Amino acid sequence: MIDWFRRLWPGGETAPENITCEEALARMYEYLDGELEPDWSEKVRRHLEVCRRCWPRFELERAFIDHIRARGLRPARKRDLEERIRTLLDEVESD
Amino acid sequence: MEDVGRGQRRAEFEAEALPHLDALYAFASRLTGGDEARSEDLVQATCLRAFERWEQYEPGTDCRAWLMTILRSTFINEYHSRRTKPTPVDYDDVAERSVFDGRSPDDPEARFFERIVDDRIVEAIDALPDEFRVPLVLSDLQGLKYREISDVLGVPVGTVKSRLHRARRRLQDDLHDYAVEQGIVAR
Repeated sequence: MIDWFRRLWPGGETAPENITCEEALARMYEYLDGELEPDWSEKVRRHLEVCRRCWPRFELERAFIDHIRARGLRPARKRDLEERIRTLLDEVESD
Repeated sequence: MEDVGRGQRRAEFEAEALPHLDALYAFASRLTGGDEARSEDLVQATCLRAFERWEQYEPGTDCRAWLMTILRSTFINEYHSRRTKPTPVDYDDVAERSVFDGRSPDDPEARFFERIVDDRIVEAIDALPDEFRVPLVLSDLQGLKYREISDVLGVPVGTVKSRLHRARRRLQDDLHDYAVEQGIVAR
């Protein structure tokens, strides 16, 4: 569980030795998707440890993507599809 | 003797591949934006191709993943052949403001999407324009990396990135509008 007490940085400013909120937000999806090069990924990670403006945003975005991933592939197959595929296989086999 | 071999091949295929029809159909539906006829055609074509190449499948490996790869390439072939020119997409209509701005992850209203019925989420994905929906489906529902999506769609990685990001923003805005309409969130 991430500790809220560590998130004392007010946001919108550059944390010491770190990147700005704008720089972090510009790379948000790449960071969440694991597509950021290691040095930038580390910078964003450190920014999130101290920025109380960006961290909630990143968390909500991550939760949203996870939710879409979990719900987006709802099966809605037509009942007779399997039967039609078996018929197609019969046809292929009889060729 | 030959019939026995054929019968066994068919039985193996049915036992290994057909249990994944639901997943294949769902994937096809998201790729086609909920087009039932195209989704069924896609699943049928995938099954036929998989059956023809059944010798290439190694028993015990991930049959579902193998079938998904076949479905994806079948879809992409069709996708490219259908698209003589890209559908115009308005790239300026995505508001920069996010529905998550200034919200706490603990705020139930910020997590409005968790209170929306699954069917409506699927509908919102299907309603995205092809240019946005396909990268989103390949990334978020299939777990492909930006580079892989770029190779599959034949567009630069930067284009994949911007379309995927805009797809997510559109989806958020659409689902948020719905949540407001339904009284799930106050504004």
